[in-house]
Amino acid sequence: MSLTAISKRKNTKARIISGFMYSLCVIFTGFILSLLLWVVGYLIKIGWQSVTVAFFTQVQIPYGAEGYPGGMLNGLLGTLVLVGMAAVVGIPIGMLAGIFLSEYGANSKLSSPVRFVADVLAGVPSIVVGILGYELLVVPIGNYNGWAGALTLAFIMVPIVARTTEEMLRLVPHSYREASIALGATKARTILRVVVPSAAGSLITGVMLALARVAGETAPLLFTALGSRLLTVNPNQPFPSLTKQIYDYATGPYEAQKRMAWAGILVLISLIFVFNLSVRLIARSKHGTA
Amino acid sequence: MMQRAQTTLTHPSDPPAARPGPKPAGASVNSNPAENRAAASLPVVLPGVAPTDVHPEVDAETHILTVDNFKLAYGKRQTLHGINMKIAGGKVTALIGPSGCGKSTLLRSMNRLNDLVDGVKIEGDMRFKGQSIYDRNVDVIDLRKKLGMVFQKSNPFPMSIFENVVYALRIAGERSNARLDEVCAKSLKSAALWEEVKDRLHSSAFGLSGGQQQRLCIARAIAAEPEVLLMDEPCSALDPIATQKVEELIYELRGKYTVVIVTHNMHQAARCSDYTAFMYMGRIIEYGPTEAIFVRPHLKETEAYVTGRFG
Repeated sequence: MSLTAISKRKNTKARIISGFMYSLCVIFTGFILSLLLWVVGYLIKIGWQSVTVAFFTQVQIPYGAEGYPGGMLNGLLGTLVLVGMAAVVGIPIGMLAGIFLSEYGANSKLSSPVRFVADVLAGVPSIVVGILGYELLVVPIGNYNGWAGALTLAFIMVPIVARTTEEMLRLVPHSYREASIALGATKARTILRVVVPSAAGSLITGVMLALARVAGETAPLLFTALGSRLLTVNPNQPFPSLTKQIYDYATGPYEAQKRMAWAGILVLISLIFVFNLSVRLIARSKHGTA
Repeated sequence: MMQRAQTTLTHPSDPPAARPGPKPAGASVNSNPAENRAAASLPVVLPGVAPTDVHPEVDAETHILTVDNFKLAYGKRQTLHGINMKIAGGKVTALIGPSGCGKSTLLRSMNRLNDLVDGVKIEGDMRFKGQSIYDRNVDVIDLRKKLGMVFQKSNPFPMSIFENVVYALRIAGERSNARLDEVCAKSLKSAALWEEVKDRLHSSAFGLSGGQQQRLCIARAIAAEPEVLLMDEPCSALDPIATQKVEELIYELRGKYTVVIVTHNMHQAARCSDYTAFMYMGRIIEYGPTEAIFVRPHLKETEAYVTGRFG
């Protein structure tokens, strides 16, 4: 058999295997994508009709009262405020912990316990965190309140933000740090001016994931913020949230409220999507990465 | 022109401990290479030159940097064995030698960049203008501003060209835009990059070619107004044309700056340096004027390396 014949046969075999693997990739990617599209499509189909002007402008109105079923303005606003408050507390703590783990961790005995605790906390079921929030922030105060809800969400955010920040900062080439140090920058300045900005795009993605995660949390809020029928942003009182309202509506007996729950889910997902997209676009235009 | 040894050199592969101690200072430097070769029995052993051995021409210069019996180990691996070296101010000094001989380590020790590496053990000292570099009280930040560094792989920050150049000023707290503009233009001109980038100072540094990026890194180092530029194989990732530009730049920088350059490229060392030190296995084997090292090396090892027969 000539050499060309052998190489041809090998070639054919390689091509068949390569083609097979490639089609496997295409099939599974398509499968995942179609699942996602199916879920979103289903949501839109069912929820779309209930996403009305009233949904955004009215608070919930009980069955039998005039204007029933009203809208979800109180829940929507409540969730935005809760997530905002949680972000203000959770993002700085999480990011600083992540920076510590990535930049100072190598020389510290603290780093591996911190990393371990963060990993464990990230895996704790959110309802457990909710009970913790109830014990620490609701019982001593005496009533369900918005602070407890926000801090509980922040507690869930911290380990996620810390670990993603660490991972993302580790991806920043060591040569950037070296170049900055060699130019006479201190370590702190190097981190602030070079390392963190270089990773800005992916850091924002990490923060977004954490925000999206807590925006969709219900269980910890059951024990802390409780929920409210009123349009209120007073964190000393029981605090409304979209997820709690969806939960109430979806488990309640009324058809109109069930439809409203679907609309609520659709709005929640769209909010997270739009928020994510816009922050990424801003990050891209500012840093040239993302 | 180049003298060639007639006999084939055996590559010295015995461990350092097995070698005889250094010869007395000056013995080999002032002797005729031909005699030296005749005297040495093959296989030639290293090191042939005492660490204290200083070429008279190097010795006559004004020294900006002195290395005193400097030893460095990464953990248990001894990388530098008692280096003694004087570096002439305003001149270009090349460090050559095979991979792993310690030349980059030596270079990075000069502005204490090895501090960043865990498990580094250092003995001896270096002095910059008479002041100890490794003294406890040394302001490392200040030291690094005076000894700028250009790395093997160009490493611009993910910022605009302008921000890259003025980075050192920004961290020093410079606020005046006029001053930043001035230093940016001056540094880019010194790095022979101004004409190519003056219209796009505020676009990303990543849009530049590899050679331009490396010159940007040189401009960034120059902007800090260092006295010494340490270059760690600055052209190893560049094509010949970009290399030529960087070499011309190095040539132009002499006088204004003291340049210490690590290179794997013999021709580069020959073309752009005033003095050359040949290093092997953590020791300086021969150090002298570049011409002497390349044309009339005293030692067979040096000759074998510079003529490309080992290393």
